[in-house]
Amino acid sequence: MEKTAHVGMADLVVVSAPAKMITLGLGSCIGLVIFDTTAKVAGMAHIMLPDSRGAKTVEKVGKFADTAVPTLIDEMTKKGASKSRMKAKMAGGAQMFALPNSSNDFLSVGARNIKETTAMLSKEGIPLIASDTGGNKGRTVEFSTETWTLAIKTLGKGQTEI
Amino acid sequence: MLDLSSFNNLQLDAVREVGNIGTGNAATALSKLLSCAVEIAVPRADLVSIYSLSEYYGNADNVVAAVFVRSMGEFGCSFIFIQDEQAADLMVGLLLKQQFGFIPTDLPQDVKDSALSEVGNIVLSSFLRGINSLLGVQQQISVPGVARDMLASILDVVVSIFGQMGEMALFINTELRVEGVDKISGNIVMLPDPDALELLLKKLQVL
Repeated sequence: MEKTAHVGMADLVVVSAPAKMITLGLGSCIGLVIFDTTAKVAGMAHIMLPDSRGAKTVEKVGKFADTAVPTLIDEMTKKGASKSRMKAKMAGGAQMFALPNSSNDFLSVGARNIKETTAMLSKEGIPLIASDTGGNKGRTVEFSTETWTLAIKTLGKGQTEI
Repeated sequence: MLDLSSFNNLQLDAVREVGNIGTGNAATALSKLLSCAVEIAVPRADLVSIYSLSEYYGNADNVVAAVFVRSMGEFGCSFIFIQDEQAADLMVGLLLKQQFGFIPTDLPQDVKDSALSEVGNIVLSSFLRGINSLLGVQQQISVPGVARDMLASILDVVVSIFGQMGEMALFINTELRVEGVDKISGNIVMLPDPDALELLLKKLQVL
């Protein structure tokens, strides 16, 4: 039977096939998956914020897009993956609350998470082949190393796969 | 900026008292609105790890209804009125019964959400008024935002408030319970902006 790894807030998990990785209730956070189908290695990070600049300490590298992406690549390489074969999929980055006439930066952190994660992937040269981001609904995501698909469940909208 | 990890018990007690005053006001307003008795639980002020926010209230995938507002003025603060989805629907039913004498069936979701946002608005603005008089400030409340979603998704907003500065969030939490045929409860969550904490503690004379 496949084992399922739960990826908590700011966690970063790398598995070898066959395995599943799941993360619950992404709001403005990002569920980023990087995988190498030849080495059969995949990793998932639950990214909370765009960048670690201004943070006093980085207790968990999965917390920020700019620290999560390079670490995920390193950890996967240690498990036999090759950077040149890596591809990425991501979901999340919603804005849960919208206040009219409000310019509160923190409410739009989802959009900044999407932007920074995308930028980091492109900086590392990893193609982002599919994504389901933005909007105003939370997402639960599950990645399968059998089909290399990311299943996304949204409340009231059912499940989609990318 | 004040570091949450240096908070002491005296300061947490003082902050809890803010919750107490706010909740008293909120409960009175809710009681008038619904013509029901409203009970309040003892407020809590807790430092919670931003990596386990959901566990503070339940499970990450619990479905909840939430009304979010911001205070506008010198003391920056966010407030969330958060309930199980079922409790929110019951509360909306009570409100509509109060207005129309019966509970209309098959209401569209946006009508229910609009009623819920009104309940949340009244509860949270009363809460804020209590704080205003305690701290001697004049704060206005923003237009409310409503969401029904998984608990973890809703609480991501807490991460965006506290996450950049550290690993902890300050929750001032109180529970309101409407005493009626059905037991309906809701939580008021007060989340002071990190850069407003110093002002808050100074006003409370514990800094």
